[in-house]
Order: sequence, then C-alpha cells, then structure tokens
Amino acid sequence: MANTGGALRSAERWKRASELHSLHEEQKFNPLEVSGLNTLASNGLPRGTIAEVNGRRSSGRTSVCLHILAEATARGEVCAVIDLYDSFHPVSAAAAGVRLDRLIWVRCHGNAEHAIRSADLLLHAGGFGVVLLDLCEANPRVLNRIPLSYWYRFRRAVEHTPAILLLCAEISQARSCSSHQLQLKHNVFHWSGKSPFLLLRGLQVQALLHKARLICPESLFIRTAA
Amino acid sequence: MYACIHSAAPLSRQSLLELAREFSPEVEQADAGTVVFSIAPLRKLIGSPYQIASEICRFGHERKMQASLAFASNPDAAILLARNCIGVTLVTPGEERLKLAPLPLTALFTHDVPVDVALLEVLHRWGLKTCEDLAALPERGVAERLGQAGVYLRTLARGAIHRPLRVAASVTNYEERLELEHPLQLLEPLLFLLGRVLSELCGRLRSQSRAARLVAARFELEERKEYSFELEFAVPLEESRAMLKLLQLHLERHPPEGPILAFTLRMQAVEPRRVQSGIFLPPTPPADKLQVTLERIAGMVGKENAGTPRLLNTHRPDAFEMTALPVTDTVQSDMQPQAAYPGILRLVMRLFRPALHARVHVVEYAPKDVLASGVRGNVVRSAGPWKTSGEWWAATAWSREEWDVALDDGALYRIYQESKSREWYVYGVYD
Repeated sequence: MANTGGALRSAERWKRASELHSLHEEQKFNPLEVSGLNTLASNGLPRGTIAEVNGRRSSGRTSVCLHILAEATARGEVCAVIDLYDSFHPVSAAAAGVRLDRLIWVRCHGNAEHAIRSADLLLHAGGFGVVLLDLCEANPRVLNRIPLSYWYRFRRAVEHTPAILLLCAEISQARSCSSHQLQLKHNVFHWSGKSPFLLLRGLQVQALLHKARLICPESLFIRTAA
Repeated sequence: MYACIHSAAPLSRQSLLELAREFSPEVEQADAGTVVFSIAPLRKLIGSPYQIASEICRFGHERKMQASLAFASNPDAAILLARNCIGVTLVTPGEERLKLAPLPLTALFTHDVPVDVALLEVLHRWGLKTCEDLAALPERGVAERLGQAGVYLRTLARGAIHRPLRVAASVTNYEERLELEHPLQLLEPLLFLLGRVLSELCGRLRSQSRAARLVAARFELEERKEYSFELEFAVPLEESRAMLKLLQLHLERHPPEGPILAFTLRMQAVEPRRVQSGIFLPPTPPADKLQVTLERIAGMVGKENAGTPRLLNTHRPDAFEMTALPVTDTVQSDMQPQAAYPGILRLVMRLFRPALHARVHVVEYAPKDVLASGVRGNVVRSAGPWKTSGEWWAATAWSREEWDVALDDGALYRIYQESKSREWYVYGVYD
C-alpha cells in the first residue's frame, strides 16, 4: 500500500485521463499551419490524418477547404482535388491563393465510385500535401453506398505520411476515422451600399471544431475577393 | 605520340574512320576528313613510329586512299602537320616547333581554334607571316596585347598544346524489335515480352546516363496490319517498371485490332531529370509513380478530366484548360512560405456545370424568386446586374447580366440572364 501511495504521488508516472491523448501524439511531421483557422486549430492540422469540413450550401465549407489548399500549395506542396460533381472553380481558387500549378484536379462527373477510387490511388501514390475529396451536393443515398471500410482504408493510407485527407461534405462521412471535424454554419451575409446598389462583401459563419481538446464555437469572416 | 590522317578527297572520308579504328579504338574525328589517334599502344604491337607509319600507309594503300599522315607528340601539332604537309611527316618529340615553323599563320586559323578570326588581321599588321614569327614572340608581350587567345595561338604555333583526345561516344541504338513464333492475342504474355525488351532498353539508357522521354511502340498484326502509338512522359523515366505499367494501361484502353506477330519498341533518350531535394522542402510525389497514378485515373475518368487547371488569358467566365502537372527541375525560388492572403479567408464559388436552367420571376427589374433543379427560393437580397460580354468575334462569345442573389433557403447564388435568349441560369453558389 505504501508503494502504491508513493506511485500515486509521483506526477511523472501517473497522468489524468484527459492528458492521455498526448501519450499517443508522436508527431512525425509538422502539422499544416492554417493561418485563417488559428483561433480554431491553434496547432494546425495534423499530418497523416483525415480532416472533415461540413456544412450546408453557402456555409463557407469550400472557402475553408480552398484556404487550406492555398496554405499547402504556398509551401510548395502538391495537392489534389477530387471533385465529385465537377464544381471546382479554378478562377475562385486562384483568387483564394491556391497555386494551380501545384494542383491536380480530378473531375468525376457525379460518379462516386470514381471519386473514391481516385482518392485511393492518389493517397497510395504518396507525396501529396493535401488531398481534398469534395463530396458536396452529393445525394445522401449515393454517399451511404460508400462502404465504411473505405474510410478506414484511407486512414491507414494517410497515417505515418505527411498527407492530409480533407473531406468536404454536408454531413460527416468518415465519422470515427477523422481526427478533426469542422462544422460550419452560415450566419449572415455582409453587403455594402444601399439597395438596389448592393455589393457583396463577405460571409460571417459560425465554426465549431469537433474532436478538438477544447470545443468552442468561433466566428469566421470570409471576405469576397474583390 | 599521336597519328593524324587527313584526306581532302571526298571518297576517302567515309573510310577514314574505319582505317583509324583498325589501329586504335579511341579515335578523335577533328572534322569529316581528319582523324587523330594515339599510337603509343602500337609501339609494342608493331614497333617504331616508322614501322607504324608504313603499316598505316599499307592499309591506306589497300583501300586506295589518298591522304596525308603526320606523327607528333600532341594531337594539335599532328593535325596541323597532316593538313598542311603532303605525304608522311614524322616529328620526334621536341621538334614540333621546327616542323611547324614554315606553315603560314592562316593554317592556325583553319584549325579548330577558339579565337576570333579578326586576330589574324592584327597579326598580319604586325608583320607576322609564319608560325615561327608568332612562336618567336615573348609570351608575356603577347599576353599583354592579345590576351588569352594570343597566348593560345602562340602555344599552338610552337606545337606545345597538350590535351587528351576528344573521343566521340559511339551512338547507342534505343530500338529493339522482337518477332514472335506464334501470334499473341492475350495481353499478359505480351506484357511479359514487352517487359523483357523494356528492361534491356532501360539498361542501355542507364549505361549512358540517359532517360527516356518517349516510348514509341509499333505492333505488326496479322493480315499485314499495323498498330502503333507513342507514349510521351512528362518527366523522363529510366525505370522499366513504370514504363511497362504505362504501356499496359494504354494497351488496356486501346487494344490492338488483331493478334500480334512482332513488335518494335523505340525510346527517345534525353538527359535525365536531376533534382536536388532538400531536407526542409516539402515532399512531392515521385515523378514516375505520379505519371502511372494519373494515367490510371485518366483511364477511369477520361484524360480530359484529370490534370492541372490552367487559367486562360481571357475574361470569359470559367475559362481554363487542363494540362499535365508542370514539373520543374529546380526548386521554385518564388515559393512563398505563406499563403497569398495569410489569415484571410476568401469567399469562393462552386459552379454548376452546366449552368442550371432557371425560371426567375422579375419584379421592378430585379429577380424576386428563383426556381431551378435543386435551387428554389425567394430572393431576400440581390446585387446586380453586372453586364459582361466578350469574344464577339468567336464562337465562344458571351453576353449576359449577372446577379448575386441571397435566397430564403440561406444560400447565396450567382445567376445570370443571357442577353440574346433572355434565358436565366444559375451559374454557381458562393460557398
């Protein structure tokens, strides 16, 4: 008993349950710092994981994803966009700071199987910084047909690599396989001028980062490029 | 000691190289009619320089060649003497200057020298006529007045330039043909044979420190048909496995029309891509693996649907083209450590391709409600119209009025009305 009491008193050997996550964090690669999301993810996005950005139309989900791509391509990383519904807008992406010459764009024209297989091939090829799998606007029935085992396969493919698989969809797809889940909810549009001479200035969104140490909602302002 | 054979007769020029190769495997071809080679190894085989010279003459006589022969202790002196002295000239080491002395200065300039021809006029103005005149000048004075080129000419005139032979590398053939005993119909055994030939060709590439930029395949089919294609790589490849995989993917998508009787593979050899990667640089996909991966994806979604977008120099909406991922050999110096807008999130748009045909109710020149496939709602706020048009001279002409409309479903859309047809479309959604 005396020995057990001594061990309990030793702070080096005993940790709180909330501190246990730090035992598993063996950071092989530096996380991707995303300056626009500093308030939410102060340590950046961890490499070798699946991160999700969820939200409805005009919730700023694509803006956040392309901002992450812009940060990665600015560091010289090669990134990929797997676009299920051919909705990626290169002009917008370039205006958001994405370096298109370091981007691979795969257009799947609504074929979810092609999108998943393309993601699989790209993740297994290796060397990518961020692979964005854009499943927005997809019918829930189509998404439900994707076997859950794929997300485990993707998690295994990216772990211990510098790649981040970024999922963009209306609701969470990877579920327990994702390490970060950013839920976005649009708040208000900002306009300047007086009606009828209005000009869109930006979008205020409410962001909530699930699966983080501290879950607290943050307000993000997304400006128009003009 | 070096031997130089020079022939001015056009018929003998082709056989000059063959004659030289009878005596030495390492031959420098100074020009089409001049070859130089070392005779030092022949001393033990044949004997004295006189015996070597007579042996060369005998060989030349058998081939009915008209040429002049010169022996000297360095290649340049041998070339000068062979070009300017008829017959056989033997120079013992140390006597080069003496033998070159009567040659005119113009002989130095007809030699392959890295000096300006205008220098000859300067030397003539100085009153120099022969090589001896130049060789007799003090080196320091020549260097002060003519610089490095003058010193080089003076050394050449003295027959004192010592350099190794510039031996031309033999041309490697990167083409291989394989005839089959039985016509092949299945892809798998064909790939086995293709892999064997590719492996052999890649071995040749590696031995020459080269890589393949292009593989051209030609298949001879039954009924005298032919099937050929070329695979061009974004990055030169030197590994046969990656090439074989690319060939396999191509053949799976575009199989030959009939059984294969023979095939020929040809590679276009180029300098390999050498990139110094750094510890602190971000990782990039391996070039060969990336090509195979993109080819596989292209086989699935179509070649035009996988690549790198490149914006076109036009104001036309959604103007881009798909290209191959540009591969740079050097680390990009303009790479910024931070994004273009650090800390600022930019609102981007998702497009509907093709744009959704919409029914829009307009009240007082502004849209009041929008109805399209998957888009329905009353307009809460709108901004516009912005008139855009362009390229009226081409088939890609456009003219439209654009609006940003916030609907009561909470989304913000970009809609437009075609000026010509007055039809409404939903172009995209701000997201």
